[in-house]
Amino acid sequence: MKNSRDILIKPVVTEKSTSLLAENKYTFIVDLNANKTEIKKAVEDIFKVKVETVNTMRVKGKMKRVRQFTGRTPERKKAIVTLKDGDKIEIFEGL
Amino acid sequence: MKATAERIEKNTVLLEIEVEQEMLEQALDKAYRKVVKQVNIPGFRKGKAPKAMVERYVGKETLFGEAAEMVVPEAYMQALKETEIDPIDQPKIDIVQGEAGKPLIFKATVEVKPEVSLGEYKGVEVTRPSTEVTDEVVQQELERLQNRHAKLITVEDGEVQQDDTTLIDFAGYVDGEAFAGGTAENYTLIIGSGNFIPGFEEQLIGVKVGEEKDVDVTFPEEYHAENLSGKAATFKVKVNEIKRKELAVLDDEFAKDVSEFDTLDELRNDIRNKLKEAAATKANSAVENGTVDAVVANATVEIPEVMIEHKVEEMINNVGQRLAQQGVNMDQYFQYTNSSLNDMRERMKPDAEKTVRSELVLDAIAKAESITTSEEEVNEEIQKIAEYVKQDAKVVRKNLELQGGLGHIIQDMARRKVVAFLVDNAKISEDTKAE
Repeated sequence: MKNSRDILIKPVVTEKSTSLLAENKYTFIVDLNANKTEIKKAVEDIFKVKVETVNTMRVKGKMKRVRQFTGRTPERKKAIVTLKDGDKIEIFEGL
Repeated sequence: MKATAERIEKNTVLLEIEVEQEMLEQALDKAYRKVVKQVNIPGFRKGKAPKAMVERYVGKETLFGEAAEMVVPEAYMQALKETEIDPIDQPKIDIVQGEAGKPLIFKATVEVKPEVSLGEYKGVEVTRPSTEVTDEVVQQELERLQNRHAKLITVEDGEVQQDDTTLIDFAGYVDGEAFAGGTAENYTLIIGSGNFIPGFEEQLIGVKVGEEKDVDVTFPEEYHAENLSGKAATFKVKVNEIKRKELAVLDDEFAKDVSEFDTLDELRNDIRNKLKEAAATKANSAVENGTVDAVVANATVEIPEVMIEHKVEEMINNVGQRLAQQGVNMDQYFQYTNSSLNDMRERMKPDAEKTVRSELVLDAIAKAESITTSEEEVNEEIQKIAEYVKQDAKVVRKNLELQGGLGHIIQDMARRKVVAFLVDNAKISEDTKAE
């Protein structure tokens, strides 16, 4: 199995994700090929918390154009992890 | 909030002010709310980022500085009230302790009004100039009237006399040649006015109407036209007309003509009264000035430089405004008078110092004698101003409050009262001699 640190790429810090913190939900960008089980394990492993559920979604890359050349920004997978009541992830604390 | 004041130098006070933690927190909160609207943090709309995010983004110090900027002036003003300190300049502020979660402590160094040690201010001696109007002065005034209303009568055939108004043609030659500006026809020349080069007018005396005369003169050395200065010239002059001033006879008829009075005696009395009034006003202000000067001379004050500087600025502003009313701006004025702003400052310094000194002394007396201005008096004054500018009193008051002029008015009124008080208490000796 992959290393936990390869699965979780970075946290998502936006207005939307910040407001989700109130529901004990934490948002990450994760490896495109990771599944919910892997994500759950990775979060529990790294942050030493208990995960209730994981919701994932693929975020399609945006179309970008430089003069006549069209391209696409990379596709990503976003995971919203709901923790067990009372558990917290420190790096989000104070946000 | 706690504040302690300590006089460290003659006119300098060190204030140590402590602001409670809660107040600081409140200010920090306000600061965040202000800053959050200005910063653009990726992932958040403007003004929507949480506090911790903003703090991390702009730095704690920025937020803190912003908060201090809000809380310090407020605390400073409050401290002034508490310690009853009247500053004359902007304070120098040093923050001693400024951390979140602890009270904010800062020091403010500020210049204050100097202590005035009053000398004798009751019963100072002043002389009131006489307001007596002598007959000669009235007569002089009458003659001036007479002159102003004199008629010019054309003299049919006579000779030019002193003070006559003549119409002349003239052509001037230097070395037998006419020169520019040396010729004119029907030129009005008053003999004795001194408008022409010396000797010219005198030589015309005795010339009859219609007669011609050659006038020999020498241009003065410092004549404005350089090619003519110091040269001898001959003017061919023809006298076309002579007009002589005819003074009206001083009688009731004259009084009727020049005034609303029927008889000369009434006119005389009127002139006398007017002169008396003017003299009385002059005498009153002389007494006031004399009293204030004497009182000020008796008191000792050490005036801090800043106060004088402020006064000078104020005076220059006033001058600027007056000039602006005449449609001249400061730069133009300096060009005309060939001076500079610095010259002006230097020139105004002694005056400014004198004004500041007397203001300080007057204020000190007001305090010593507890002379104050009541609310009603202020209202009355505002009413007067309102009538003068033809506006509603309430509007005027509001404007004054906005511009901070109200304080000035109150101060001014108090000072006027002090002056009246001083005059009342002064020993005034009458000067019986006429001017």
